[in-house]
Amino acid sequence: MNRRKVISFGMAAVMTAGMLAGCGGTGTTATSSASGSTSSASKAGSYENAKVEINGMVAEDTDLTGEFTYWSAFTGDSQTWDQSRVDLFNELYADKGIKCNVQFVPDGAGVNNGKLLSAIAGGTGPDVFISDNPTSVYTYATNGSLEDLSEPLDKVGINLDDFFPGCKDVIYYKDTPYLIPQDANVIMLYYNPDIATEVGLDPDTPPTTLEELDQWADAMTKVDADGNYERFGLIPWLDSGNDAFVVPYIMGCDPYDAAANKLDLTSDTMVNYLEWVQSYAQKYNPEKIQSFTSGLGGMFSPDHAFMRGKVGMTITGNWFSNALKIYAPDVNYKVCAVPVPEGGRANSTTFGVNVFGIPTGAKNAELATLFIKFCLSSQVNDDNFKQWRSIPTSDAAFDDVSLTKEGDEMYALEREIANSPENGIPALCSVSAELSTSFQAFRESVIYSNADIKAGLQELQDKFQKQLDAEN
Amino acid sequence: MKKRKMNLKRTEFKHAMLFISPWIFGVIVFTLYPILSSLYYSFCEYKVVQDPIFVGLQNYKDLFADKTFLKALYNTGYMILIGVPITTFTAIWVSILLNNKKLKYTGVFRIMFFIPTLIPTVVACLLWVWMLQPDSGIINRLLGAFGISGPGWISSVTWSKPAFILIMIWTCGNAIIIYLAGLQDISDSLYEAAALDGAGFFRQTISITIPLLKSTILYNVVTLIIGVFQWFAEPYIITSGGPDNSTMFYALYLYQNAFQFFKMGYASAMAWVLLIIAMAIILVLFKVFKFNEVDS
Amino acid sequence: MNSTNQKVSRKRRISPSEILFKVIMYGILVAIAVCFLIPFMFLFLGSFKGESELFRVPFKWLPDRFSFDNYVKMFQTIPFFTYLRNTLIIVGFNIAGSLISCSLAAYGFARLHWTGRDKVFMIVIVTMILPYQVTLVPLFLLFNKLGWIGTFLPLIVPCFFGNPFFIFLLRQFFVGVPDEITYAARVDGASEFRIYLSILMPMAKPALATVAIFAFIRSWNDFIGPLVFLSGDELYTLSLAASMLKSPLNPNWALLLTLGSLMVLPVLILFFILQKYFIQGIAMSGVKG
Repeated sequence: MNRRKVISFGMAAVMTAGMLAGCGGTGTTATSSASGSTSSASKAGSYENAKVEINGMVAEDTDLTGEFTYWSAFTGDSQTWDQSRVDLFNELYADKGIKCNVQFVPDGAGVNNGKLLSAIAGGTGPDVFISDNPTSVYTYATNGSLEDLSEPLDKVGINLDDFFPGCKDVIYYKDTPYLIPQDANVIMLYYNPDIATEVGLDPDTPPTTLEELDQWADAMTKVDADGNYERFGLIPWLDSGNDAFVVPYIMGCDPYDAAANKLDLTSDTMVNYLEWVQSYAQKYNPEKIQSFTSGLGGMFSPDHAFMRGKVGMTITGNWFSNALKIYAPDVNYKVCAVPVPEGGRANSTTFGVNVFGIPTGAKNAELATLFIKFCLSSQVNDDNFKQWRSIPTSDAAFDDVSLTKEGDEMYALEREIANSPENGIPALCSVSAELSTSFQAFRESVIYSNADIKAGLQELQDKFQKQLDAEN
Repeated sequence: MKKRKMNLKRTEFKHAMLFISPWIFGVIVFTLYPILSSLYYSFCEYKVVQDPIFVGLQNYKDLFADKTFLKALYNTGYMILIGVPITTFTAIWVSILLNNKKLKYTGVFRIMFFIPTLIPTVVACLLWVWMLQPDSGIINRLLGAFGISGPGWISSVTWSKPAFILIMIWTCGNAIIIYLAGLQDISDSLYEAAALDGAGFFRQTISITIPLLKSTILYNVVTLIIGVFQWFAEPYIITSGGPDNSTMFYALYLYQNAFQFFKMGYASAMAWVLLIIAMAIILVLFKVFKFNEVDS
Repeated sequence: MNSTNQKVSRKRRISPSEILFKVIMYGILVAIAVCFLIPFMFLFLGSFKGESELFRVPFKWLPDRFSFDNYVKMFQTIPFFTYLRNTLIIVGFNIAGSLISCSLAAYGFARLHWTGRDKVFMIVIVTMILPYQVTLVPLFLLFNKLGWIGTFLPLIVPCFFGNPFFIFLLRQFFVGVPDEITYAARVDGASEFRIYLSILMPMAKPALATVAIFAFIRSWNDFIGPLVFLSGDELYTLSLAASMLKSPLNPNWALLLTLGSLMVLPVLILFFILQKYFIQGIAMSGVKG
């Protein structure tokens, strides 16, 4: 699923303040205007610290100089945020003659529409890009379109061991690092405590097992006198969108073994997952569910079933909090780790990431890496985290995030889940883009057309294993 | 005309070459070159960033064993067999009404029918998503006003293609414009004569308008069919081919293979299959409409 | 929609009085036109509403008050006039190029008789069919070798070398012009180019206007061409901007509707002014009468 970050008001304000104070380069900055950008004066202190550190980053010792191009996948408000980040970088590095030229390229920095591909083939690709579609970008790594990052990372001092182990699935292809996640997102169960209370469930002890989840779902489901559904407890695929293997992974599947280059789509856990989805489809009749599932503009409209109170729970990522804040500020919600069946990955998640990559033939890989390092810092991401509740890619970096300092409960839970050793990013391989698309289509045929699960999975398994074998 | 002298023919040929020379240059550089490249790629495994590897007919063999491809072919066929006639029928009817000299304000109506083609695709697609919402969408609320419980449209396997036919009709302003221009060519005197013979509006339409509109209809039907084969932006933005691949159309699947799955060779093979199918359909249409008759 | 058409026309045959006929015709037209207009009304009225107002239940067509906040915000968010200028440059060249090159080629295919003509014309048809997806990469590599990537040239130059759709369209019109008209000029010794320029072209004004409008819409709305061939904000076009306002998780409804309205309205006005001329005005009076 795509994750985009909206404007970081705070950062833009800090920058403006910095410029007003005439302190470009490395100087320390005025504090009063910066505090104005935070919600309350009492938080000004921590904010000020963060800001000084941002400026402190200029001190990054480097002999490098020159310009590089950066393709950003961010559009809309997120574009504003990214622009402010680039402006800050350029300001910090101006006296070293370093300049980042940013271009905003829609459709995942050209990953999803052939632009990046054509550009790399024609030798006119950027020096660095960021994409919100790791599944597709990973295939770029597997077919030689991206630079090996080991050396430049060494030079600018990014230590890959700092990243959460779960991020390594996307960083490495055959033990070579190609992609660097900027931030991560956590998948959780969102539930409406008011509905839980209404039907006699205790919102403080949310479900932890699949059986409990099903019980909650049943309890929350409401049928009117004519037999029409007024409310569902859970529609398992409601927010699955283009996440193919997220929920299966949490429920215990290991769809792909990178070391052996083997797919395992026919495992019992996978069959169980799809049967679980199918049981809901059969129980509820997808024709009737339709009106609940096709929210206008996905989750970013007040039409989402959870916001309308038409569904009591949904499995989705931390970014949903921001959608709720914007479109349904009156709807109460709570979160917990995704309940799992026996053998599942309890209190765990898959990481949804935005990743940086450097295309083959980039002229300034080292400068680009310097920029990546800048973008990884908690300070630069702080507003991003605050707004979207996305998380840093290492545990240590959590300490610098305002939400942690403020003692935010939900963020603490995210940190706990992020630290689970079982986390990962499933099924990244040389055919992951097509595999993911095909699997989603198959999931839909299970839901809407009652497809034969085992036969369908076997077909997918055979088709893609054959392709994987041909790659090697 | 057939009795023209040979040398006249030769000068005409020379003239013709001069007239079409820009096109000849364009077709060689901007079309023939890419088409032939794609023919070559269709026999290769080609990931764009690596050199093509020759694999013979493998891509073509794979195609016809690929269920998604067959589904895309079926969906596209559905649109051509059902969507194109409905759209054509609507467009012709609207144009004939708009061309009626007895009606006033037709200019305003023309613009109304043309507006949809002016709206940027991204925006138009979002508008349709909004209108097709099962519960809150305007279409189902209109149907509800007549006591009809509307379907789930784009979220229903059965109704997603009809939803796209609605979109197709909505954007037929181009065709209407061309039909109108074609209708201008039909002399009023024909209608006056027919009216004197006692033929009513309906009869006049069937026996004068439609036959004389033949070459225009041919053009519109051909471009519509080609449009369906190349239909990409709307399904890509609105449904991405779902649910259950029920709106996976030919060009969308081709695009996925080319730019999302790195299978340029496979996509090229798809393009050539498309070329052959579309050629066949168009040749049949030309025969039916006796395309060359006008010349002799 | 269609079933109403039929039903109504059957009714009309039963009572063919002129007034009833008109009422029914207007009825049908209004009904269809309203269906066509609903999205546009949503677009236009929506551009004056706030994001929360857009989704209010129950739905209301009119905004609470006509607020121009969206417009103000949009002008702050994107360099609208730069994008407009870029779009107009591309559009202008597209129209000019298409009119010149396509009418020339169409004349060659329709008015001149030469061996193999219809076979060559089939090539025109074939080139219409090939989806751009497969020509995109070879073309990109070609333009890249020419050093044209990051300039308007890839979006402008090809249209000076003919577009199969427009050639086909113009050919269909040229074919319909009776031979006698040009025959007289030919006997008088006029050159083919003269006949093309001073007889056929003036007569084909409706067709040419149609081509101009299509060339306009095509390049006005083209998204993938600018996306792939242009680089850098300063060269982007309006339709590209529209796709950049929307991000996958946040459609940015209000701004999109605003930009959509701004892209439609000027064209609409232009179309209003021109349409009289381009369909109604020239009933090919001198030709058929």
